[in-house]
Amino acid sequence: MSAHSHLDGQLPHEPERATLEGRNKVLGFWLFLGGETVLFGTLFSAFLALRDQVGDGNPSGQELFKLMTVAIATVILLTSSLTSVFAIQAMHRNQVKAMQGWLILTVLLGLAFLGLEIYEFYEYVHEGHKFSTSAFSSSFYTLVGFHGAHVLFGIVWISLLIAQVARKGLNVVTAPKVYVAGMYWHFIDVVWVFIFTVVYLMGKVA
Amino acid sequence: MAANHTTHSEEPAKRHKHEGPRKHVVAYIFSMLLTLVAFATVMGGEINASFTYILLLVMAALQVVIQMGFWMHMKDRGHLFPIIGILTGVFVVFTIVIMAEYWTWW
Amino acid sequence: MAHAHPVKRYTGLMDWLTTVDHKKIGILYLIAGGFFFLIGGLEALLIRVQLWKPLNNFVSADTYNELITMHGTTMIFLAAMPIIFAMMNAIVPLQIGARDVAFPFVNALGFWTFFFGGLLLNISWIAGAVPDAGWTSYLPLASPTYSTDKGVDYYVLGLQIAGIGTLVGGINFLVTIINMRAPGMSFMRMPMFTWSAFITSALILFAFPALTVGLVALMFDRLFSANFFEVSGGGNTVLWEHIFWIFGHPEVYILILPAFGIISEVIATFSRKRLFGYSSMVFATVLIGFLGFMVWAHHMFTVGLGPVANALFSIATMLIAVPTGIKIFNWIFTMWGGSIKFTAANLFAVGFVPTFVMGGVTGVMLAAAPADFQYHDSYFVVAHFHYVIVGGLVLGLFAGLHYWWPKMFGRMLGEGLGKLTFWTFFIGFHLTFFVQHFLGLLGMPRRVYTYLDGLGFNNMNLISTIGAFLMGVGTIIFIINIIVTSAKPKTAGNDPWEDGRTLEWAIPSPAPEYNFVQTPLVRGYDALWKEKMDGNEGMSPAEPIGPIHMPSPSILPFVMSLGLFIAGFGFMYANNDWQAGFFKDLFASHAVAGAGLLITLSCMVIRSLKDDHGFHIEPEELTNKGVKA
Repeated sequence: MSAHSHLDGQLPHEPERATLEGRNKVLGFWLFLGGETVLFGTLFSAFLALRDQVGDGNPSGQELFKLMTVAIATVILLTSSLTSVFAIQAMHRNQVKAMQGWLILTVLLGLAFLGLEIYEFYEYVHEGHKFSTSAFSSSFYTLVGFHGAHVLFGIVWISLLIAQVARKGLNVVTAPKVYVAGMYWHFIDVVWVFIFTVVYLMGKVA
Repeated sequence: MAANHTTHSEEPAKRHKHEGPRKHVVAYIFSMLLTLVAFATVMGGEINASFTYILLLVMAALQVVIQMGFWMHMKDRGHLFPIIGILTGVFVVFTIVIMAEYWTWW
Repeated sequence: MAHAHPVKRYTGLMDWLTTVDHKKIGILYLIAGGFFFLIGGLEALLIRVQLWKPLNNFVSADTYNELITMHGTTMIFLAAMPIIFAMMNAIVPLQIGARDVAFPFVNALGFWTFFFGGLLLNISWIAGAVPDAGWTSYLPLASPTYSTDKGVDYYVLGLQIAGIGTLVGGINFLVTIINMRAPGMSFMRMPMFTWSAFITSALILFAFPALTVGLVALMFDRLFSANFFEVSGGGNTVLWEHIFWIFGHPEVYILILPAFGIISEVIATFSRKRLFGYSSMVFATVLIGFLGFMVWAHHMFTVGLGPVANALFSIATMLIAVPTGIKIFNWIFTMWGGSIKFTAANLFAVGFVPTFVMGGVTGVMLAAAPADFQYHDSYFVVAHFHYVIVGGLVLGLFAGLHYWWPKMFGRMLGEGLGKLTFWTFFIGFHLTFFVQHFLGLLGMPRRVYTYLDGLGFNNMNLISTIGAFLMGVGTIIFIINIIVTSAKPKTAGNDPWEDGRTLEWAIPSPAPEYNFVQTPLVRGYDALWKEKMDGNEGMSPAEPIGPIHMPSPSILPFVMSLGLFIAGFGFMYANNDWQAGFFKDLFASHAVAGAGLLITLSCMVIRSLKDDHGFHIEPEELTNKGVKA
């Protein structure tokens, strides 16, 4: 169970699970994501309950949403999911440089996504869709904004991990951190799948 | 030390065999196709709304299978508790969504 | 190599601020939870003094609202839950044969965020703006329109911060129980208390995020003019009720399940019999946890959700009586034919059983939706939930504290004073709340600060107040018992009750910081009892004696929580009507809130960048310490 025996030299297969600490971290993070599921589920529910409460003279989702922007954002985020998979695969092959490259690409895609989202929010505010305009706008910005905040947190987190791995190398202490950050990134993607489906696409149909 | 059932017992032969990128590229292409169909359905318009809803939700569910099953390795061995954890979360969300849809306005 | 990273070890206050040892964190939870319990109890006594006679003017109506709000909120979030976490921290790792919890650092973080959240909530008394919209904080009463001062803001931010602590604590125990069990400790060999801690932690994991969202929405409504619950902006007040109870109903099972676990341990030990129907107990616990998520709207029968919803939730609620009944019968059958010792701990446990049955029966009465229209918002409801929370949970906690006190502190609580605590508290409890059933049936509404003469409420309210003071006396006797005991030498042996069945009784009292010199090999349910029956001296080890890896202490959890505390203040006072000047600039620019969050985030970064190598305790030290006990 000693963490030290693996610190140098050959990395074990699946280094994220080589120590009890690593296994605890991965399982704990899975359970955390179970809780996050409820968190986002409740935010979705609040949005579903309030999405028709637009108020007189305010733009509805149908009028506001620009599906082209959303589609581009979706493609960017889904692609970043693939690059983070490649990062973990590189980690399993103990190719530190490749792993860092894929992670950097993931962060850049995340930044692009975030930029698009900020641009989108900026546009909406100019069309009179402010945070305090209506119950619809409050629940919309809270749900999508929570997701955006998660993306921002993920960007900062993965960037710090890239720096950390550059300093300390890949070992049984850093590997679980990278693995868990990868899980987090996929989860953010899953949440986005439901946001573009439920908020934007269904909002456009309604 | 603990009563855990993890990957230490894997045969040495499998140890250095890493999965290639191809499977994941295929999954990515599927994911893109699902996205395309979802957006095209809505952007094309002129389809029955409730049918569109169901179609969109099925697409989303398939996306989740790709992300969580393949990319988060949920389909692999040793993921019993992650599956229980996520499914319980989904179950709770299901009840909350029913609440939002049926029991907030009347 | 083990000494390559010498770790600074603190003493005195710094030791307690930096500890990551689950046993010390358990004691911290107990002290903080006990402190808030006394505050909540004081608030309860003030409420009862106000109600002892009709048209009393001991406190004003406004103060009364603040008292009931803070009494409920404090007792649930800041007293009951922390003391449950105290017991879980002190006992669960020992019961599964683990050296530590899965995330010692996160465990400390959980404690400190709870503590600072509770502190923030209670500072409202000093700030002069106390939450007064009830512990459920229903809208529109809690909206910025009707609660204009900062009282509800304290509620929202205090609970939000404390809730983070509870959530990470829950995840910690789930992973500990899944990953850290000793060899041979299969799930179906786990002691009942560990099982209940497991299910409770799962409920925390899936219920608290809903509260988080509810509080965020309410905070946005109050601080940033959002419209979630603001009817004029299209919001919906019933949505808050739903979200609150989707969290709130699992919350009451979060509270009661650990008490079930404690009672199972205490009754089995002092009946000197194996727990009757162990597997049905496990099944019932899981089932209660599961059903707990499908009954929230029975708190909302009178809202008008319609016959379909009311019928569904009514039936689901009644279903919970089935697994609960299974448990009651199992406890009775455990006692049946046992050679029962009525220690103070066991008195509490035995007193629990009929008391909880009474609370359960009124629960089924309330579950009948048509009848609930009569009981709703009356003292009948107050009597019901105090029977299950005080008569259930608090009696269970007292049983557990008397039972495990030697394992936590190395000293036996005085039996005589313990029994006196039981009788005063138990009689006081029934005096207080039994009459409230009838007050409710007579039509006395809850949450109203006084009542008129001549309605037939007078005598029963007087009895209730006398009972409340008797409970206060019981609590004081318990504190005297603690003080008297703490002056005595630490003489408790490994198994001071001599009938210990589970692993925690196989090691010294109090447990050394590494718990087990050698990880034990578990050979059956009631692991220690099995070895005793087979004529063995203690557990057989599952590993040779070797150096034990320990996590290093850290001040970061404390600072991180302090950061959240500061941020809470910053958000709350950002839109205060400051006079122009330094403070206005400071708060209105969100500088204080930002600084607080920055402290917390910086601590997270430091934690990530700085590897925690911990330290090792060498075999020589182990044998020295091991022999002493």
